[in-house]
Amino acid sequence: MSFCPRCQSEQDACRVEHEGRDAQDQLVWTVFYCTRCSFTWRDSEPEESIVYAKRDPFSRILMDKKYPVVMPPPSRD
Amino acid sequence: MATKAMSATAAQAKDVTLSESALQVAARITSLRDFLEFLAEHGQCITWPEAVMPEPDIRNIAVAAGRDAMNGPAIIFNDIKGYPGKSMVLGVHGSFTNLALLLGHPKGTTIKELFYDIISRWGADKPLLKRIAADKAPVHENRIDANFNLYDVLPLYRINEYDGGFYIGKANVVSRDPHDPDNFGKQNVGIYRIQPQGKEIFTLLSVPAHDMGRMIIAAERDDKPLKIAVMLGNHPAMCMFAATPIGYEESEFAYASQMMGAPLRLTESGNGMDILADTEMVIEAELIHGSRQYEGPFGEFPGSYSGVRMAPQFRVTGISHRNNPIFENIYIGKGWTEHDTLIGLNTSAPIYAKLKEDFPEVEAVNALYQHGLTGIISVKNRFAGFAKSVAMRALGTPHGLMYLKNLIMVDDDVDPFDLNQVMWALSTRTRADDIIVVPNMPMIIIDPAAEVPGKGHRLIIDATSFMPPDKVGADAKIVTPPSGPKIDELAKIIQALQQQGGQS
Repeated sequence: MSFCPRCQSEQDACRVEHEGRDAQDQLVWTVFYCTRCSFTWRDSEPEESIVYAKRDPFSRILMDKKYPVVMPPPSRD
Repeated sequence: MATKAMSATAAQAKDVTLSESALQVAARITSLRDFLEFLAEHGQCITWPEAVMPEPDIRNIAVAAGRDAMNGPAIIFNDIKGYPGKSMVLGVHGSFTNLALLLGHPKGTTIKELFYDIISRWGADKPLLKRIAADKAPVHENRIDANFNLYDVLPLYRINEYDGGFYIGKANVVSRDPHDPDNFGKQNVGIYRIQPQGKEIFTLLSVPAHDMGRMIIAAERDDKPLKIAVMLGNHPAMCMFAATPIGYEESEFAYASQMMGAPLRLTESGNGMDILADTEMVIEAELIHGSRQYEGPFGEFPGSYSGVRMAPQFRVTGISHRNNPIFENIYIGKGWTEHDTLIGLNTSAPIYAKLKEDFPEVEAVNALYQHGLTGIISVKNRFAGFAKSVAMRALGTPHGLMYLKNLIMVDDDVDPFDLNQVMWALSTRTRADDIIVVPNMPMIIIDPAAEVPGKGHRLIIDATSFMPPDKVGADAKIVTPPSGPKIDELAKIIQALQQQGGQS
């Protein structure tokens, strides 16, 4: 069962970052963070943003792809 | 995202005399809160009347506000579901009327008038800075030293639907040269996009050409610490002027105070940076050496998403904030957006100042469009082909080097801020062979028109009048309708009469 809307990581790769509550302390939404692809989402967002199948394919992330590194850190070898 | 440019635009030192109204406004406004109150008095700041969800409500409202680039208001949200008691504001710099009010002008001021006002202030050489003891600074009314959670302290939300996270898009980030941390001038203040990556980590996107990029490279190469202070909810002049290309050794604090004509109140952050004493919140952080994390996509100012990159990470080390802080953010994406208004005139002014040094014939520069990806320059044509030479020079200005992709050259009697006039010039002055493509030039990496990220072609369209020895079109006698201040004034009278329902 995939969990992360962007990389489909399992739930154990994703952690709860914050729970939004109303003035009566009732849960309104939860923010998650994927430790594998670094995607952040809120479970109350429109499905186009948080359902893998409904997200535009361009916005997915390929874990085996080498993405450009901004200002690559110097090698310490 | 708006950023500080790479190299110096040397301003000529001069005394600048501001109008009485400009000085009055400058003296009154010391913070974001002051400005919001001032805008509200002029009908330019509203409070959203209903509760909103972080997504998609805030995004939808921001896009709707962007439809009125001239008169759109700042919008305060005091009821965000899941964030009881927290406030945020969008659109503070979202319209030219808001900028006009900040600079001491009335509503109805034209973009061209604002351009010349900024030009008149350009080169002011009297930094106006006032020191406030840290224990007296409003920003330190509340302090967090541990157990940070950015998703808790800030009402964060997804700006565009496919962004990789909940971005902070309008922070002024203060940093010091890792090799010269005591040098006030080398202290950089710039606007960089920030993506929280968990409760106390965030990525910050810069490139080697930016001052921040230079500092990150130097810190990692020489194993020096790099501390930063992320200021949120700032004096409106700081946001407006921090993104202007000034020299590496020039202070943005000094520059912003000079341009505003009133002192900026500075204090010290918990990690030793100079910060605005009245800023709503400051997040102190330190570069995590050698660490990179997925950053993006992010809906950027060209109106398209920048891709995913591995960006440097920072760890939060402390947070200070005022009582009931207001989180200021920005909508950025497909134009017109607040970003375009915020940065447009400050993109245009330094290009003009640089060109004017060599070509006094340059009349005005409109680089409002997508951070200057398109620029329109009006110039008094001296001889055939002259405008093309000016265009070539524009490509070599600090901002033009990376950003000026499409240049339209028009005569000095064409207002480059009036697109109807520009289209007249394009329609009647341009010949197909007056178009130059300069291939394989440097280009910003997020421009989707680049051949490869960082490299692409430039376009120059000469839409100026035909001049000797050019024989083509020499027989065309241009109609010269009345123009100048008198006609400008009449246009304003007509507009005012219209607003009054046609009655005087």
